[in-house]
Amino acid sequence: MRDSIVRLEKAAKAFATPEGQTVTALDAIDLDVSRNEFLTLLGPSGCGKTTLLQAISGFVQLDGGHILIDGEDMTDRPPYRRPVNTVFQNYALFPHMTVGENTGYALEVAGVAKAERTKRVGDALRMVGLEGMEGRKPRQLSGGQQQRVALARAIIARPKLLLLDEPLSALDKNLRQSMQIELKTLQHELGISFIFVTHDQQEALTMSDRVAVLSGGRIQQLDTPRAIYDQPKNSFVATFVGASNLFEGEAGSGQLVTKDGLSISHGRQGATGAATALIRPEQFFIAQSGDSAPGLDVDLEQIVFVGSTFELFGRTVTGRRVIAEIPAMRRSLVGEIEQSRRARLAYDPAAVHLLPAEAA
Amino acid sequence: MTSIAFRRRAQLAVLLGPVSLFLAVFFLGPLAIMIVTSFLAPGLYGGVEWTWYPHNYGRILGFADPMFEDFDPIYIAIFLRSLKIAAMTVLATLLVCYPAAFCISRLSDRWKNFCLFLITLPFFTSLIVRLFIWVLILRPTGLANEVLIGTGIVSRPLDLIYTDGAIILGMVYVFIPFMFMPVYASVEKLDWTLVRASLDLGAGPIRTFLRIILPLTAPGIAGGAVIVFIPALGNFVVPAILGGAKVMMLGNLIEQQFLAARNWPFGSALAMMVMTVMLVLLFIHVVVSGRRGFDPATGH
Amino acid sequence: MKIFATLARGSLIAYTALFFAFIYIPLALIAVYSFNANPVNMMTWTGFTTEWYAQVLGFKTKISENALYLESTSQLVEALWNSLIIATSTTAIATVLGTAIAIAVYRFDFFGRRFYRTIMFMPMLMPDIVLGIALLIFFVNSGINLGLKTIIIGQCTFLISYVFIVVSARLAGMDRTLEHASADLGANEWTTFRKVVFPQLLPGVVGGALLAFIISMDDLVITYFIAGVDVTTLPMFIFAMLRRGIKPEINAIAVMMLTFSFVIASLGLYLRSRQK
Ligand SMILES: Nc1ncnc2c1ncn2[C@@H]1O[C@H](COP(=O)(O)OP(=O)(O)OP(=O)(O)O)[C@@H](O)[C@H]1O
Ligand SMILES: [Mg+2]
Repeated sequence: MRDSIVRLEKAAKAFATPEGQTVTALDAIDLDVSRNEFLTLLGPSGCGKTTLLQAISGFVQLDGGHILIDGEDMTDRPPYRRPVNTVFQNYALFPHMTVGENTGYALEVAGVAKAERTKRVGDALRMVGLEGMEGRKPRQLSGGQQQRVALARAIIARPKLLLLDEPLSALDKNLRQSMQIELKTLQHELGISFIFVTHDQQEALTMSDRVAVLSGGRIQQLDTPRAIYDQPKNSFVATFVGASNLFEGEAGSGQLVTKDGLSISHGRQGATGAATALIRPEQFFIAQSGDSAPGLDVDLEQIVFVGSTFELFGRTVTGRRVIAEIPAMRRSLVGEIEQSRRARLAYDPAAVHLLPAEAA
Repeated sequence: MTSIAFRRRAQLAVLLGPVSLFLAVFFLGPLAIMIVTSFLAPGLYGGVEWTWYPHNYGRILGFADPMFEDFDPIYIAIFLRSLKIAAMTVLATLLVCYPAAFCISRLSDRWKNFCLFLITLPFFTSLIVRLFIWVLILRPTGLANEVLIGTGIVSRPLDLIYTDGAIILGMVYVFIPFMFMPVYASVEKLDWTLVRASLDLGAGPIRTFLRIILPLTAPGIAGGAVIVFIPALGNFVVPAILGGAKVMMLGNLIEQQFLAARNWPFGSALAMMVMTVMLVLLFIHVVVSGRRGFDPATGH
Repeated sequence: MKIFATLARGSLIAYTALFFAFIYIPLALIAVYSFNANPVNMMTWTGFTTEWYAQVLGFKTKISENALYLESTSQLVEALWNSLIIATSTTAIATVLGTAIAIAVYRFDFFGRRFYRTIMFMPMLMPDIVLGIALLIFFVNSGINLGLKTIIIGQCTFLISYVFIVVSARLAGMDRTLEHASADLGANEWTTFRKVVFPQLLPGVVGGALLAFIISMDDLVITYFIAGVDVTTLPMFIFAMLRRGIKPEINAIAVMMLTFSFVIASLGLYLRSRQK
């Protein structure tokens, strides 16, 4: 078993809405985060990501269950006595304090002597690339710089765990990408576990050691980015992470037959019963005459050039929508089908992933 | 082109002219004359003598006219006592309003507006009536004493009215809206994620209050303090009604100089003291809030 | 933890309830005791009566046979009448002048704008007593007889400020593109003012006027100094009564005054909330 830094046991939380209903924000969640792990929480709006983070930082009181941090039960501890720090979405920098005072705040309240504080503030700011900005006020900084101050402020006291609630969502795309890399590097250097919340699946996949996909207050799947992408546990995860083509039907050995009569080959021998086949758009390729790979014949409705790829939107004879992604270097092929408006989208049966059928 | 500019000029003159004239004559004029009067000698039977006479201030500050009297520290004592009562009024209104502002700021919009309405409403009702109620309550035969005696807490009526406490209570009662509004405005704008950030970084509730909440709401507190302190300092209605003859404040002293003693220059000098304190306070307020620059907590 | 949170919340709510109790219980008390029949100690309940109201309103009552009471009633009516005359005149003057200066400061660009904006706050911030005696010295020195006229002038000096502040708040919140649109559609300046600016400005002007009226009716300190010997206003009348000794009908007067200002203030605040 890996060394656990945070453990949630059956953590549950429900809110009463002003309209008099109850919303289950956390539905008996079990979660283990290891030392030095970068875990991302990914899920649609309102699925309970923020609630989960706040349960760990202590701003949300659980209705049931426990939270252990580094083996200690923290369920009833107030936020200021938990070894956890947060980077807030809108940074929450104290406007009446300088960058230096903001950064050193956690040390100040912990009673660290002034001289040492000054030194550690300098170190922390250097770490996030803001050397010598101690004297500025937060409003004199750009959004990206404020973000870095928030980061420096949260790590200066060396918490056991850093929580980041959509920290990059207010930044523009380029800055965002460079911050992603910096965050990852920082996490390595510090050796602190990060729990990171994002809406952006690309961000989740590129940065994390593991990703937890949440929906309706439950963890749908907790796995490495690759496993989440290649072997989603259910159709929610499959559709939420990446684009997907799903075919529900009756599975037989090596074949799945949908209700509308399409037959999909898959690599799994001995599968039986209701199941759903998943084919990612990029697994399709355009079959040329003589190709023996299985495929789907589609009428093309739209071909969209997005730079590195072409996106093909097609429809089978039975009326089912199919999305395929063809690398742009194969543009000659695309030229051909653009003329005919028809194509055969082939795939490798071994790449088809079978999901167990779900209760509707 | 010139005709448009000319028309604008003419419109402006029509709009500004009468008001400027009115305020110059009836506001700045009287103030100037009062300042002059405060440096004139009092006449023997009321009135003034047109000679330079700094001893009106001397009587207050310690260089009384040697011809007429010895320096009597009574005036400086009254001045200091007025400062003290005004300061305590500020403190008391703040203590009353600050927690209430927090509570009301967290209510739903409908309740919030209703509460604000309830707080502003007394401001529009007769000041004298609101003070008179406290006379009825605090008199030796008033409600407070009846209740205290009736419940057996005390056996003889307490001296509640005609004390410093009664004056402060009366001032608090009438100045609550003055303090509440600016304090509320800054509490309402307080960003609660900053409070969370502070708790998150390990600061306990008291620390968070002193280090985050208090500094961020300070502009509202300062504003409220100034606009309560100024009218409290020169107030003469409240001490006249609730302080009786026993408690003298600057306001009563000034009134006496005009309506009883008929020593207008001295009264003017006393009024100048009130005005000086006001100007100093306003100056400090402007300088401090100016140095702070734009303050996100108040939006000023 | 949870218990503490609930406790903290509960005590905050309790505190706020106390806060409002402090403000309103005295007002409620006076309303109740204005119906108390006890003529000696107003706070000892001896029975219900509407006699004091009848007395104040000049109806015949048992006590009103007494000549002394009759006299005070006629004084009261006169004081009320004076207050109304003063409040009406000051409101008219202060509203016109205050609105004019607000428009000048917010719609024109001229040298000294900031000066005007600052100076307009001065009369409001100036302690009453300072303004009161300054006006007294001024009027006496310039040989103007103290009376209604001086009260009206004196009150206007600070009421202009109140109107200015209310109207300029309205002006500052107004959308100027509407005026540009009107001009763009061919309306001349005067038409634009009448059809676009003024209707938007009106709630501010009405609000300022109501405020001026209420404050004028309530002003004691400044009026007290510049009223002279012949004129008494309602607040002065009550003030004098309080100094001389309290008579039971003062409760009834107080309640009627409170009701009056409650109604006007509620109306004003209601109109303002409707405007938003
Ligand atoms: N204080 C609260 N009172 C009532 N309901 C709440 C409260 N906080 C959260 N909720 C509800 O709980 C659910 C989960 O909210 P949460 O903020 O955790 O979502 P989220 O995943 O962070 O969403 P987003 O991505 O939009 O930030 C939502 O349905 C929300 O409406
Ligand atoms: Mg969230």
